[in-house]
Amino acid sequence: MNRKAGSRLEKVLASGRFAVTAEIGPPRGPNADVIVEKAKILKGVADAYNITDNQTAVVRMSSIAASRILLDQGLEPLMQMVCRDRNRIAMQSDLLGASALGLKNILCLSGDHQKASAGGKLKGHPGAKNVFDIDSIQLISVVRGMRDEAVQDSGDSIDAPTPFFIGAAWTPLAPPREFRVHRLAKKVAAGADFIQTQAIYDVAAFAEAMARAVDMGLTEKTAILGGIILPRSAGMLKYMNRSVPGVVVPDAMIQRMEKSKDPAKEGRQIFLELIEGVRAIPGIKGVHLQAIEAEHLLPDLIRDAGLLPRPAVD
Amino acid sequence: MIIAEWKPISEIVEKLKGHKKVLVAGCATCVAECAAGGEREVETLAPLLRMAMEKEGNSIEVVTATLERQCEPEFVEPLAAKLIGVDAVVSLACGIGIQCLAEIFEDTPVYPGVNTTSLAIREEPGVWGVRCEACGACVLGETFGLCPVARCAKSLMNGPCGGTRENGACEVNAEVPCIWLKIFERAQARGKVDELLRFQGTKNWSNSRHGGQKRVVREDLRT
Amino acid sequence: MSENFQPEIMILFCRQSVDPATDLARAAGLARNCVLRMVALPCSSKVEVPHIMRVLEDGADGVLVVACPEHACRFMVGNTRAEKRINYARGLLETVGMGAERLALARGAKLSAEALAELGNSRGRAVEPLGANPLRRRK
Repeated sequence: MNRKAGSRLEKVLASGRFAVTAEIGPPRGPNADVIVEKAKILKGVADAYNITDNQTAVVRMSSIAASRILLDQGLEPLMQMVCRDRNRIAMQSDLLGASALGLKNILCLSGDHQKASAGGKLKGHPGAKNVFDIDSIQLISVVRGMRDEAVQDSGDSIDAPTPFFIGAAWTPLAPPREFRVHRLAKKVAAGADFIQTQAIYDVAAFAEAMARAVDMGLTEKTAILGGIILPRSAGMLKYMNRSVPGVVVPDAMIQRMEKSKDPAKEGRQIFLELIEGVRAIPGIKGVHLQAIEAEHLLPDLIRDAGLLPRPAVD
Repeated sequence: MIIAEWKPISEIVEKLKGHKKVLVAGCATCVAECAAGGEREVETLAPLLRMAMEKEGNSIEVVTATLERQCEPEFVEPLAAKLIGVDAVVSLACGIGIQCLAEIFEDTPVYPGVNTTSLAIREEPGVWGVRCEACGACVLGETFGLCPVARCAKSLMNGPCGGTRENGACEVNAEVPCIWLKIFERAQARGKVDELLRFQGTKNWSNSRHGGQKRVVREDLRT
Repeated sequence: MSENFQPEIMILFCRQSVDPATDLARAAGLARNCVLRMVALPCSSKVEVPHIMRVLEDGADGVLVVACPEHACRFMVGNTRAEKRINYARGLLETVGMGAERLALARGAKLSAEALAELGNSRGRAVEPLGANPLRRRK
């Protein structure tokens, strides 16, 4: 079968099996061992691992370097790339480099704005000059041009195509909700092979959005992975509901966490139920699982969800 | 109009140390409209500078003038008479006006009294909001008259990012609407949402500062 | 600060806030440990920030704007505008090291000479710790 990139993630999805991705944040320092340690814990539990690109505008090890370190550990990286920090020249150059290093999956994102994202103890770089030369949909199109036509954005050729399996994000429940499926359609038309969604807590609302995507034929053209973040406390759910745009948490779920004598356990139970719920939605091809600052919990959770072992691919 | 905002007075005072006679120069055009550099602001800042300098033990004479337009030589040249004995100018005009003054009176140091920040509109009394980035490739025809280059924090060209808040505000600044939400609403009201589904390719930024120093030449108007 | 520092307070008062029968000269005579000067205005909103700065530049140690009670402005919102401007100007005076207390707004209705003088005296007491206006020395 003709593959676009030949990545493990692509093969799992092409074989029709339910895909699992997880996330690894690169360290705020130059120490490769941090990634090696995380790799040891998470090896074999997902088909690909998102490596974030300076999320919240806090400087971390570059996603390309961290992706390669992960690859050396035998895990498949899914390199994230945001439009905030690089112009089209730097991005395409980095894409050539990433391809040369054996990276095959990319997630194209606009990126957190540098002024609005870092919080808590970290300052980030609110005074930085952002770039936003191109947007995430244009980036998808640029990557597809490099892959399918061996051409740069300007029209200049490159020596050989860069085989990337191209991903994009989708926030189905942010306003204007009616437009969100159209924006998804634009991403798919631009070349998104797969989609990871913003965290889903309201399965019913997400199912409605998915039904529209199915009606528009989008699920035939792209593989949608539902995003699920482990709830760790009622406070966290309230925060996400209130402060993270596009994340909708039903009141009943917050109350359930509030009433629970063992919120950690309750959160794990909800997580498993969310996986089941999302998995049952027509058109869903996989899940993107995160346990923020608790990645070590993922292997047991993924096993309990019945998603292990991950399928072997050729 | 061009929007400017006062610099911290301490920053201006620092520059004025050692000067004896200072002209505070305003402009009655944009910066007057945005209450940063019109006559009112000139006549507010001048006494404040005297007070601040005196407080630090530096007596200074401060004279004032507010020009009709500080960005055009014809309006600036008559200021020469006022500059006799003046050893520094604090200009409250936008960056254009400040430089026009500095070019015409090249022997006199001209200090900015404001930071020039944006091309904006007065949304209501006391509130100004950005409308234009002078990007050199206007897309207002595709975006129903609402500029995503200036008004989307990420200058997105193909619709809203995931950061639109439930109340319709932008994730980056809760005081402003997600402009892509507004664009969508306008498209919807006109029954033209399909126009927003068209892919907008990478933008050519070269007709702005990214193409080198901007200079416009009209041969038919040259002398 | 000299022992006998007597702040000079400029009272810019809205004519509507003072009893028409009030004798201003008498009010000035009731000054205690300060000097009171008075200027009548048709409305407190006639005071603009540059005016206040000018008065201070000319050497007054403090400025008191007297306005009508809230919601009792003959021009509807004149005194709330004045209040906003005065708060803004107080901030500016603080940043240049003059001290915000050199400027304040007071409210009153049908003020007598005694009441007006007491408002001025009270501002004088507030200004006293700041010492003389540095620009006054040059006068």
